[in-house]
Amino acid sequence: MKSNIIDISNLRKTYRGNVSPSVDGLTLSIAEGEVFGLLGPNGAGKTTTIHILCGLVRPDAGEAKVCGFSVLNEMSKIRGLIGVVPQDFALYPSLTAVENLMVYGGIYGLPKRELKERIDTLLATFDLTTSRDRRVEHYSGGMKRRVNLIAGLLHRPKVLFLDEPTVGIDVQSRYVIMENLKSFNQEGTTMVYTSHHLDEAEHFCTNIALVDDGCVICQGEPHALIVQEQTENLEELFLKKTGKKVRD
Amino acid sequence: MRKLKALIYKDTLLLLRDFPGLAMMFLMPLALVVLMAYLQDSTFNSINEHKIPLLILNQDRDSLGDAIERSVSQAGIFEVDSLENGQPLTIESLERAVARGDYQIGIVIPQNTTESIRSRVRQSVMGAFGGEADTIISSDSISIFVDPTTKNSFKSTILSSIREYAASLQTDFVLREVVLEVNTVVPVPIGDIDIPKDMVLLKEQYARLDQGRIIPNSVQHNVPAWGMFAVFFIVISLAGNIIKEREDGSFTRLLTMPCPSWLYLVAKAIVYLVVCLLQLTLMFLMGIYVLPRLGLPSLALGQSISALVLMSISASLAAIGYGIAIGKVATSNQQASVFGAISVVIMAAVGGVWIPVFVMPEVMQIVSHISPLNWGLSGFYDIFVRDGGLESVWPESCTLLLFAALCLGVALYYGRRKSIR
Repeated sequence: MKSNIIDISNLRKTYRGNVSPSVDGLTLSIAEGEVFGLLGPNGAGKTTTIHILCGLVRPDAGEAKVCGFSVLNEMSKIRGLIGVVPQDFALYPSLTAVENLMVYGGIYGLPKRELKERIDTLLATFDLTTSRDRRVEHYSGGMKRRVNLIAGLLHRPKVLFLDEPTVGIDVQSRYVIMENLKSFNQEGTTMVYTSHHLDEAEHFCTNIALVDDGCVICQGEPHALIVQEQTENLEELFLKKTGKKVRD
Repeated sequence: MRKLKALIYKDTLLLLRDFPGLAMMFLMPLALVVLMAYLQDSTFNSINEHKIPLLILNQDRDSLGDAIERSVSQAGIFEVDSLENGQPLTIESLERAVARGDYQIGIVIPQNTTESIRSRVRQSVMGAFGGEADTIISSDSISIFVDPTTKNSFKSTILSSIREYAASLQTDFVLREVVLEVNTVVPVPIGDIDIPKDMVLLKEQYARLDQGRIIPNSVQHNVPAWGMFAVFFIVISLAGNIIKEREDGSFTRLLTMPCPSWLYLVAKAIVYLVVCLLQLTLMFLMGIYVLPRLGLPSLALGQSISALVLMSISASLAAIGYGIAIGKVATSNQQASVFGAISVVIMAAVGGVWIPVFVMPEVMQIVSHISPLNWGLSGFYDIFVRDGGLESVWPESCTLLLFAALCLGVALYYGRRKSIR
């Protein structure tokens, strides 16, 4: 049995000025090597949870451990072990893809030669070799998404956080991204993934947690949950559990 | 070290790709220093070369009247006329000409001025030897008409100059008359008493710490002044850079990486320190090599290179601290650029960049001490004008470094508040 790489226990967070909590006693565990889908409607608390795990938000109460280190006081040890692919492109538009990746790889502390080789490999994997020296500001949305993803993979993280990695891109770019993510997962990278593409999540994730109002409302393997809740697919399950009322 | 190198690499590239920002940081101050030094130098020259039109009516036609007329003609600062449009003057026509503004000064030396003084001297001398004096001949006083539009300060200067001439002439004249009168009553005649005019010596020179021979000029004001302005103008680029990184999410990504946020600030500070030192070096080189080719005085860098380096680094760090603080406190790029530009222009105006502090009103001279640009400028004055060394510039240097530390404290406080929620 695989050990847990992420353990979250009774996590709470209320932002300054808000009355209701964004995360309200959330508890879950993610095993090593999983592709874990954190799914839920807007404002459910999934981004806050990921931000807590990445050290961007400090929880009010509870505990979370990543790779055995606490987010409360061992964030410096966690940062080198995780990769983050934010929903925003988080790239320097006036720099080329290679320059962006050299910067991020350098901050991860990768030696120059190793970093160059890694960049060449990843650019080839994500079909970006021919445009490697073009400024990112001239890239299409799909190309930016791929560079954004490579930046999170450069240092071979143990855990990769993916915040809607395929939002707003064409089918081809999405296919390249998802296929490569699967192969990186097979190489051992644990992935924590959020998305509103529920069909994508259904096929990609090995485990999911449906989150609403800051806590987990159901958790398990996608197909097992679909069968258990007697729904056709994950989207129907999602609507059944979280309701059809529009969220802002 | 690898992380710091990567961050420096990133900030250098970001800066090099920002052509408008680079142009603003380097070309604008260079253009300003040439323009302002040239303008101010021309102004000083025109003041020095411009002669004040003066109309004189000498009705005395005797020793004192002639001496005054000769004296103002030879003074070099007046353009003296004794005829108006070729016509002989009267008191009324002289007054009208000055009132119209054709002349700034009009002097009327009435009839018998010399004879009146002579009779007073005679009376005094005779009185001293117990003799009887003649009747004193009366005369009107010398009148000076001034153009009503003339500024008070200028009027005071002119009047005191004329009074000085008059007093000097009067002393000569009285002495000569005393000798003449004394010779009429003493058995052995005495010769002229020659009293040197420069018994009380006044030597005007600029205060300096040693025996160097540098005279302050428009270049020595404008080069450091616009150098400080240039250095502080980097706040727009620096703050904009910080905000852009925050807005496009790259700073958020940096926060998830194994890199302390102070290292991110250190990298920025190093890159912008190089920029500031380059700016100052270019400005100094401009003052030394380019401005003299335009007919302006050359910049003399003083005696202490170490003091110059210390002041340059302190001023640069103060500007960098300010830029980082604005970048962290401002919520948008627009807010940062507007606030940054306006605050720097105000600090420059208050601090004596546009107009030197010593010509400001007294209140503004006190207010100028709140501007970091003034601290920097004072430090550079110490080096360029007073030949000061490290011991002269350390107060300004410490104040600038303290300001930088304060700004960085504010930046770290706001940075922490904004990044970790």
